[in-house]
Amino acid sequence: MNKKLGVYICHCGGNISDYIDVEKVKAAVAGEDGVYLAKTTMFACSDATQKEMVEDIRSNNLDGIVVASCSPKLHLLTFRAVSERALLNKYNYVHANIREQGSWAHSDDKAGATEKAVSLVKAAIAKVRLARSLDPIIIPSKKAVAIIGAGVAGMRAAIELADMGCPVTLVEREYFVGGRVAQWDVMFTTNQTGKELVTRLYNEVIARDNITLLTGAEVVANSGSIGDFTLKIKVTPRYMKEKCDQNNLLKAIEACPVVVPDDFNFNITSRKAIYHNFPGEFPQYPVIDIKNCTRCGECEKICSSVDFSQQEQTVEVHVGSVVMATGFDPYTPAEGEFGYKLSDFVVTLPQFKRLTDINKDNLVYNGREIRNIAYIYCVGSRQSEGDNKYCSRYCCTSAIHASLEARNKFRNVNNFHFTRGIRTYGKQELLYAESLRKGDVYLQAYEENPPLVEVKDGQITVTINDIMTGGREISVIPDLLVLVTGMVPRADNSIASKFKLPKGRDSFFNEIHMKLRPVETVIDGVTISGACQGPKNITESVNSALSAAAKSYSFVNKGELALEPIIAGIDKDLCTWCGECEKACPFDAIKKEKQGEKEIAVINNSVCKGCGMCLPVCPVNAINLIAFSDREIESMIDALVSV
Amino acid sequence: MAENIKTANYDALVIGAGIAGGEAALNLANNGFSVLLVEKDLSIGGKMILLSKVFPTLDCAACITTPKMSEISRHHGITIFTGSEVQKVVKKSENSFEAVVIKQPRYVVEDDCTACQLCEQACPVVVKDQYQYNLVGRKAAFIPFSIASPRVAAIDIENCTLCGACEKVCPTKCIDFTMEAEEYHITAGAVIVATGFRLFDPLKIPRYGYGQYKNVLTSMEMERQLAPTRPFNTVLRPGDGKVPDKIAYVLCTGSRDATVGNPICSQICCMYSIKQAQLLMGSLPMADVTIYYINIRSFGKGFEEFYEQAKGMGVNFIKGKIGKITEKENGNLILRYEDINENKLKESEHDMVVLSVGVLPNTDAAGIFREQKLEFDHLNFVGQKDPLASPAETNIKGVFVAGTASGPMDIPDSILSAGAASSEAMRYLIRK
Repeated sequence: MNKKLGVYICHCGGNISDYIDVEKVKAAVAGEDGVYLAKTTMFACSDATQKEMVEDIRSNNLDGIVVASCSPKLHLLTFRAVSERALLNKYNYVHANIREQGSWAHSDDKAGATEKAVSLVKAAIAKVRLARSLDPIIIPSKKAVAIIGAGVAGMRAAIELADMGCPVTLVEREYFVGGRVAQWDVMFTTNQTGKELVTRLYNEVIARDNITLLTGAEVVANSGSIGDFTLKIKVTPRYMKEKCDQNNLLKAIEACPVVVPDDFNFNITSRKAIYHNFPGEFPQYPVIDIKNCTRCGECEKICSSVDFSQQEQTVEVHVGSVVMATGFDPYTPAEGEFGYKLSDFVVTLPQFKRLTDINKDNLVYNGREIRNIAYIYCVGSRQSEGDNKYCSRYCCTSAIHASLEARNKFRNVNNFHFTRGIRTYGKQELLYAESLRKGDVYLQAYEENPPLVEVKDGQITVTINDIMTGGREISVIPDLLVLVTGMVPRADNSIASKFKLPKGRDSFFNEIHMKLRPVETVIDGVTISGACQGPKNITESVNSALSAAAKSYSFVNKGELALEPIIAGIDKDLCTWCGECEKACPFDAIKKEKQGEKEIAVINNSVCKGCGMCLPVCPVNAINLIAFSDREIESMIDALVSV
Repeated sequence: MAENIKTANYDALVIGAGIAGGEAALNLANNGFSVLLVEKDLSIGGKMILLSKVFPTLDCAACITTPKMSEISRHHGITIFTGSEVQKVVKKSENSFEAVVIKQPRYVVEDDCTACQLCEQACPVVVKDQYQYNLVGRKAAFIPFSIASPRVAAIDIENCTLCGACEKVCPTKCIDFTMEAEEYHITAGAVIVATGFRLFDPLKIPRYGYGQYKNVLTSMEMERQLAPTRPFNTVLRPGDGKVPDKIAYVLCTGSRDATVGNPICSQICCMYSIKQAQLLMGSLPMADVTIYYINIRSFGKGFEEFYEQAKGMGVNFIKGKIGKITEKENGNLILRYEDINENKLKESEHDMVVLSVGVLPNTDAAGIFREQKLEFDHLNFVGQKDPLASPAETNIKGVFVAGTASGPMDIPDSILSAGAASSEAMRYLIRK
């Protein structure tokens, strides 16, 4: 059978045609076997060209098309849709990437780039000659979503999905919800406190019957894939009953002999082994920190709600999609980094925020009344040497806001900011302007010449060559030095490996495409929201959480999903089960199965991504990838070498 | 006109078909909701479709926008009105808004036009092309720009002399001068305001000489010179057509400047200027590019690395605000500034100056909400009722805001904001 083929070669506005002679490519392939028409186009992806392609396919009854343009990562779906509109099965369209692999890669060699483009297009033509029509794999999708992390992003996504009629399991590793925001006091821009915001969201969460909130809960295993994830969740008990007499509780806390650093306050204070972070935190009953508890039984004697008989449980949930909302950790400076750990009066920004929250009338820390405060910015961010090349985005505004709060709340506070250029972007600029107006002092240096911190006899001296005053050396002797620390990915990010989530260069979870698919990951059905994707302030986190909620909703709301049919297939007769393919599969899509007398490999169609990793390891060549069969690949190679 | 009122009913009305409005409409439609997308311009795509490449990935803007626009324009769930304005919106009850939409006549029957451009060739009238930011001319019968969606001709009736030349050459006879404005009465369950932003007008800072010195241009004019669909196919200075080799960027033109009424930071100018600088280094390898700044604000994902990359490529960054620009006889420009590093007042000569103009609110949506008024913040952006927990909510229940209508934002943030607005609208529509 001789197929009738159409070939389209794109200028990409000049991105391609500035380096590749597209007319020459057209002429070189027009005579290829089966090519019925060959055209060049300014933008293959433009609406007008798409219309033209549909027309061409329909009026000429084309059996297949080749589009030679940019990377298929960008436009594979676009041209598949074109084929479908022309009633051509979309797997009869083959893409040739002559931009990323052609014009951009060989901008120094126009003739060579053109020659390569000809080869690439000929190979694509060879492949489309052998292409078959395929139907998508339809799988059921469970209308339920799991959200990992009950900070503001997670709770907000949960409320949204629940109101769209989608049951939600909200999984929080800590015993209390609210994540980082619960730790903040008054917040920019609304002057609400973090507690108020968390309280509001928590009340909304528990008011909804279709949200199941699990605290002290961790996903320990994940199997399955889009449409049907099975999560095993380990729920550790609080060792406390829900109802609790407040008076007895306070006495019980008092009686507990164990004292450990309080990580809610970033270790600037301590707490007992039976604790709550603050009265009224949610869920509103305390926890026994069983790791540190000595089982002395003092609390049990006073408070009848203590219940050491509670057992760890494992819950299994089935969901169609998963939203990651696992947040961030504040950067922890290395010992000696800007005086960190060299003095009791060097703290991080989160510690400082807790400090201004806890202190009521006077700002006192370690027995010292704090008046002069120095802030060093970009600690752990914008590192030229370290790993964190990125800007943490929230810290300038957060530090200025905290310093203004300190100024407003306590008397006689003077703020000295050692910056690398303030980044109060957008409306946040008004806060910076207010700070300047109120008399805060801003000094600046570049990264090559950072401020120097010396600690001598308990006295901290911060010295800078201030570029704002012509490089003059200025020293400040503060009562307290605040290191404005940035955001880093969660130290314990083991959840990522359970979902095989990829990370970006900055080690935060990575989206597929910042603009086209900003909340999706390469793992179908798993979306990312909030600061686990990268530094964000609260508004930005919530925007991304709601976007992720909408995306996850679209995966589950129809009850079924159409999946890509380009997957691996096993030849049952050839397979002799050696297990190599199972080891090679990065998605756990291959399992051993007994068929009659024989054990063979079986592919899970909804998990297989068609990556092809299993193909070369098979010693008996029993695996073939649909649409990338040996025959197709060999024909492409033939076309490439025959030029 | 009044006797010819048409009515229609949609789940959601989206006002503005830029990247935010388009994204919101797509999200809604992909989840089964019907959407009316109203755009006052002749093409959807907003400002993004006119850009060159976008930071920090250097994707070509058209490559990202056009497939999205194409998806929007042929989605069964989305109806698009271009060249149309929402005249008023009244909330009748929960989940019920009534809107009056006026579709201005294009004087071309959209369905019949094949975009053959014969009318354009025949038209004798030449006026400035607003889609090329006035760098070149266009006809009064014209296709807005090559990747416009819909790619359909329009007659600019204000400049048309009614000579009839276009009518004569049109092969499909789709030009119709008798077209009148059409009035639609729309009911919708929810409304999304995605009216975008305006650019700062540098005429308000006379000391920079925009409009007076030919080689001082705005960043949007430079953007058009760098775009794949650019008018000159290279970068030229407007004064004499010379290829520039010493280009200056003046950041914070009309931003962080209370004297021109805009005290806030525009959030995008540092990054788009750095991007343009990188593109210029690519297209004019011999050129020097200098960016004069107060602070470089490369705060987003991958932005700081992009800034470092520009430094590595040889873009000069000078910390100092430009006080004044004067023109030499040869068209070159003298920039007077305070060099913060050297603590000196200095002057430097460049042959082309780009003013990195900032973001101003678009108040178009202000008047259209009747009875219950839409609230704006003190900067005239659409007010966010609950910016921390529900950034898309406005003071009117059922009306949501997407993208730069609520404040300066880059493209990734606009898209997330649109995602949030569409999510909130879906929740509102489902919950009723």
